[in-house]
Amino acid sequence: MSDRNSDVGGIPIEEVVVEAQEALRDRSQTRVPDKNWVKVLDHFKREWQIYAMLLPTLIWFVVFLYKPMYGLQIAFKDYSIFRGVAGSPWIGWEHFETLFTNDQFLRAVRNTIYISALNLLFGFPAPIILALMFNEVMHATYKRTAQTIVYLPHFISSVIIAGIVITAFSPSAGIVNTFISWLGFEPIYFLTQPEWFRPIFVGTGIWQEAGFGSIVFLAAIAGVNPSLYESAVVDGANRWQMMWKITIPSILPTILIMLIIRIGNVMEVSFELVILLYQPSTYETADVVNTWVYRQGLQSGQYDLAAAAGLFNAVVAFVLVMTANTLSRRFSRTSLW
Amino acid sequence: MSGVNLSGIVKAYGALQVVHGIDLNVAEKEFVVLVGPSGCGKSTTLRMIAGLEEITDGDLMIDGRRMNRVAPKDRDVAMVFQNYALYPHLNVAENMAFGLRIRKMPKDQIKTTIDDVAEILGLTPYLDRRPADLSGGQRQRVAMGRAIVRHPKVFLFDEPLSNLDAKLRTQMRAEIKRLHNRLGVTSVYVTHDQVEAMTLADRIVVMNDGRIEQIGTPMELFNNPANTFVAGFLGSPPMNQMKGVLTETGAKIGNTELRLHGAINGHQGRDVIVGVRPEHVTLAESEGTTALPINLDLVEPLGSEALLHAHHGEDNLVFKADTNGDINHLYGVGTVHVPAHLIKLFDAETGRALNLGA
Ligand SMILES: Nc1ncnc2c1ncn2[C@@H]1O[C@H](COP(=O)(O)OP(=O)(O)O)[C@@H](O)[C@H]1O
Ligand SMILES: [Mg+2]
Repeated sequence: MSDRNSDVGGIPIEEVVVEAQEALRDRSQTRVPDKNWVKVLDHFKREWQIYAMLLPTLIWFVVFLYKPMYGLQIAFKDYSIFRGVAGSPWIGWEHFETLFTNDQFLRAVRNTIYISALNLLFGFPAPIILALMFNEVMHATYKRTAQTIVYLPHFISSVIIAGIVITAFSPSAGIVNTFISWLGFEPIYFLTQPEWFRPIFVGTGIWQEAGFGSIVFLAAIAGVNPSLYESAVVDGANRWQMMWKITIPSILPTILIMLIIRIGNVMEVSFELVILLYQPSTYETADVVNTWVYRQGLQSGQYDLAAAAGLFNAVVAFVLVMTANTLSRRFSRTSLW
Repeated sequence: MSGVNLSGIVKAYGALQVVHGIDLNVAEKEFVVLVGPSGCGKSTTLRMIAGLEEITDGDLMIDGRRMNRVAPKDRDVAMVFQNYALYPHLNVAENMAFGLRIRKMPKDQIKTTIDDVAEILGLTPYLDRRPADLSGGQRQRVAMGRAIVRHPKVFLFDEPLSNLDAKLRTQMRAEIKRLHNRLGVTSVYVTHDQVEAMTLADRIVVMNDGRIEQIGTPMELFNNPANTFVAGFLGSPPMNQMKGVLTETGAKIGNTELRLHGAINGHQGRDVIVGVRPEHVTLAESEGTTALPINLDLVEPLGSEALLHAHHGEDNLVFKADTNGDINHLYGVGTVHVPAHLIKLFDAETGRALNLGA
């Protein structure tokens, strides 16, 4: 009966709600406010399991992200392993001056930005397009199979991915060059030619990550209220219109969040993949800040200079992510924090 | 033949059949309400009319045209959804314009249409707002507006008021009725709320378990329920039902015999369900009534009336009584008086209404 008349034991629902609100108000007025630290203690006592679950992540952050920050100071010091971090003398901005007069470093910065821009332009939309395409696939088995196939490269180690790419583009036996010579052209030495590095690198990145990246967008699409589509169907929209007028606007917040994160990672061009795919003959286009830091720091032992370059990288990323977040919050009411 | 005609409509999901053959003719400009308990197949039926669900078997005609295989957009129907289905990223005007833009209506024409409808619905001040910045009632109105601007042949409503609080629901109910009187568009309205059904419908279709139990005007259904299900569904509180046996002059319930009006000739000894509406009994004896002793359990005051919860033998009963401003006199009630001509009889086995001697 309550179902049909919306009442609780014969009392109309509004009255019940009003009474409950009053009861709540009375209670909050009569209770003596606890001291702050008592509240905090109470809270921990009640919720300690949740904090326990948080602990591994916190430890990871401290050990791998916060503790190394102490070592960052060597970017401003004349560091040597024998004197240690604390014992090395301060030298101010000297390393940064060295960096910005170093042609190789400046080239690495340019390459990083260039590759990142390409990544953003082609690599960022790829998973979104993939998700939208999966969403249109009606046949369940076909859809699952296709999804599994595109997720797969994500789970393969970059070393193997690079191996596959190197083999595929090999001038002698690679499938690409076999095809090219079959068409009657000369084979191309893709991986030794600077102009080919960027397309191959960006393409490999998309192949490796676009499928897995589409999961986030598929989840966002799954969250769209299905009656929006039904309403549009009755209104006469076709699938194309529904994609543009419902799906994409609905997942726009997710797209923006992912974009902000991506922009924050602009300076972090996939280091392993570059190391695995580049060679001295392609440094001209392939050497990025991270690989340069790696060669200077670990191979030439200039830890202080490498730290300065790393710090520069981090500051740029920080500024970028703050800017993107602020812009997004201002223009679309969506932001990371 | 205009309006909406369903004949032998069946819906099955794989092997599971959920609508078992529905025959219904909705006349042009008629407001028909499908009502029934949750899960009885109302929405499924409505969605088959809209074209959102495929029709497994039977024929659907709209305006004389067979629609079974026609795409939803070509059926010329507009649907209002329970959760409003408003596009969160569009403002009120854009939401209402959605269907018109899709149909490529010229811009200036869209604008005048929307301004007109917004005026009717009192939405003019809110045209620039997003749905998130509207109250529940306003969102509901936008959803209706979106249907109205299309000027469809048929409106379909799927529980459009059930997300509103009781007060707003009453208000919007009246508004829907006014709109229907004004626009005169054939409407099929789904609800589980029998009050909504009674107040809105030209005709009510009571559904249960994928079947139609009865079709008729609200008063027909109220006065002459075809079976115990309809009797127990309509009215608030619904009709009391007591097990009884027919005698020569009436129906015996436990040790009490209720006198009946019609002839019972030849039906003596038949097991029946005796139906008495809560509001039909009186506390004072009068011409043509029989006293029914009851054990009072609870008195629920509603204001001018009170509900008496009682039992007689194993049957739980509810009666309505006037309070006359005070309920104290109701606590002593031990008998109610049942007027013979208002008693309903149903077959105990089939639950169907019995019309003896009539
Ligand atoms: N897609 C589906 N697959 C299987 N069963 C369904 C599906 N949709 C609805 N049903 C079933 O059909 C019956 C009628 O549902 P519905 O028409 O939504 O009921 P209501 O009268 O509450 O609107 C319910 O028992 C429901 O479980
Ligand atoms: Mg329903």
